[in-house]
Amino acid sequence: MGRRHPTRSRVMAHAGLVAGIVLLALPLVLGDLYLVRIFTLVGINLVMVTGLSLLFGYAGQISLGHAAFFGLGAYTSGFLTRLGWPWVAGLLAGVLVAAAGGLLLALPSLRLKGHYLAMATLGFGEIALFFFTEAESLTGGSDGLREIPAAAIGGFSFDTPTLKYALVWATAALVLLLAANVVRLRPGRALRAIHGSELGAQACGIDTVRIKTQVFVISAGLAGLAGVLYAHYIGFVSPSTFTLNLSLILVAMVALGGMGSLSGAVAGTVLLTLLPYADAIIPGLSRDTVAFLQDWESDIHGLVLILVMLFMPGGIAGLGRQLAVRLRRTSRTAEGGAS
Amino acid sequence: MSMLSVRGLTRRFGGLTAVDNVSFDVYEGTIHAIIGPNGAGKSTAFNLLTGFDTPDAGEVRFEGTRVTGLRPHRVTRLGIARTFQNTQLFDSMSVLENVLVGTHWHTKTGFLRAALHLPGVRAEERDSRELARHHLRLVSLEHLADVPARDLPHGQRRLLEIARALATRPRLLLLDEPAAGLNSAETGQLAGTLYRIRDMGVTIVIVEHDMGLVMDVSDEVMVLNEGAKIAEGPPRLIQKDPAVIEAYLGGDGGA
Ligand SMILES: Nc1ncnc2c1ncn2[C@@H]1O[C@H](COP(=O)(O)OP(=O)(O)O)[C@@H](O)[C@H]1O
Ligand SMILES: [Mg+2]
Repeated sequence: MGRRHPTRSRVMAHAGLVAGIVLLALPLVLGDLYLVRIFTLVGINLVMVTGLSLLFGYAGQISLGHAAFFGLGAYTSGFLTRLGWPWVAGLLAGVLVAAAGGLLLALPSLRLKGHYLAMATLGFGEIALFFFTEAESLTGGSDGLREIPAAAIGGFSFDTPTLKYALVWATAALVLLLAANVVRLRPGRALRAIHGSELGAQACGIDTVRIKTQVFVISAGLAGLAGVLYAHYIGFVSPSTFTLNLSLILVAMVALGGMGSLSGAVAGTVLLTLLPYADAIIPGLSRDTVAFLQDWESDIHGLVLILVMLFMPGGIAGLGRQLAVRLRRTSRTAEGGAS
Repeated sequence: MSMLSVRGLTRRFGGLTAVDNVSFDVYEGTIHAIIGPNGAGKSTAFNLLTGFDTPDAGEVRFEGTRVTGLRPHRVTRLGIARTFQNTQLFDSMSVLENVLVGTHWHTKTGFLRAALHLPGVRAEERDSRELARHHLRLVSLEHLADVPARDLPHGQRRLLEIARALATRPRLLLLDEPAAGLNSAETGQLAGTLYRIRDMGVTIVIVEHDMGLVMDVSDEVMVLNEGAKIAEGPPRLIQKDPAVIEAYLGGDGGA
């Protein structure tokens, strides 16, 4: 029994991997550029949500300011590459600036709990947005930064939609792989312990302030990385992207997927990112339905958040676990009946 | 020399003195009980000994090192582990994972090493799991290793918390009402577990209401009442102490 467990989950993981690769190849095989674009956005969001999942889904520390770190990454890299910096240097700078912003926010606020942490991060997001709008010489003000060059490594430029898609998804896959290693080992257990009982974690010798600060910085850095990918994918950044609305959507993606589950966060991200583009995925969807989904997008996210919290606190991952338990039970009864 | 030395420990909450100028010593290799009616200040004393609360006056020394003023994780790293009257388990994690968290401070895989799965990570993880299983066996929970902690009944939650505390490699273990919620058979087993822990070289301080258990296992008993120490000595003498009888019969606390 103890032996069968890991094998079964390994089979599931492999099945998930194969399904993921098939899904990812689909837009390319179909040659549908609209799909390619939408799925590039999914990949960018995945990088960001993976970071938020570590912070919020695993460690239970809310951030309502992640759009700010996304913006810091996007603006930093956009600004520097326009000055002629190589993309890789812009990328490193973008991640570092976002991570530094995370550290700046984490040091005073991680001693705060619940609502206070929510307010502090929300305030940080608003200050960053103000900075993006007003610091015109750096950010281009409300007009934003235009003509940001495409990502390039050495002489090779990722300048077609397909190449951008490949770059984003290679990054997303790498980030997910590293995060999956983290969550199943010692640091991941420390994060979940802090979420479960901070007193219990301290009694185990865990320096909770230090670990919370670390995960906040990592989470901000990943949002910065997503911002860099975004800036060089779209080629243009302006303040209207980095609003509280985005921060809330990210939280909704983690919550919909299920707290403390990376695969859940992936599912939540895919679902909520695709929602406004339902017409591209589901053929024959009426124009009115699509218009409705787009008009009410942020309200739908809010509603999803409330419904998940009320009726399925385990999120998609929780439903999956329940289903697995039920299946195991049925198969056991079937085995019992046969013998 | 005593292992733990407590001098003049005092903690006030507003007008209430929850722990009132308490001094005592705990000697290595013993089981030391702290008893007293509800509200006597026992749990507050534990918090003061482990950095979860700071005394208004007094000092705690462990093997000569000053403990007062240290944050809780530092106290754990000195070799003092504890359980809580209200168990503080990680409910969403499995029984085994709970104990694995206990190995946290003396293992070293950080975010980067884990993410990159650097050499040594796998070996450390395997060793930690082996150690955690060993501690689960000690409290007879090994067969429940993969069960979520939230699914455990009350008595087993207390045992799991003891296993987790042992995984931190303590030399001194503080247990706050470990027999609460246990039936008499389980309490009997607990006594055996306490002896085994002591024989492993871990000194024990136990806060407990179950007088049978206290009289059975402890080498030394200290009695608190309304924050103050009113008696201390070997269990046989404590049972006959008039001040203790008065505190238990005259007070409104239940024991
Ligand atoms: N954080 C606190 N704030 C105010 N009063 C407290 C606090 N903690 C404990 N007390 C009070 O201190 C006294 C001792 O409590 P406690 O140490 O929990 O007693 P015991 O564990 O012996 O039952 C009680 O009167 C309790 O109400
Ligand atoms: Mg108590």
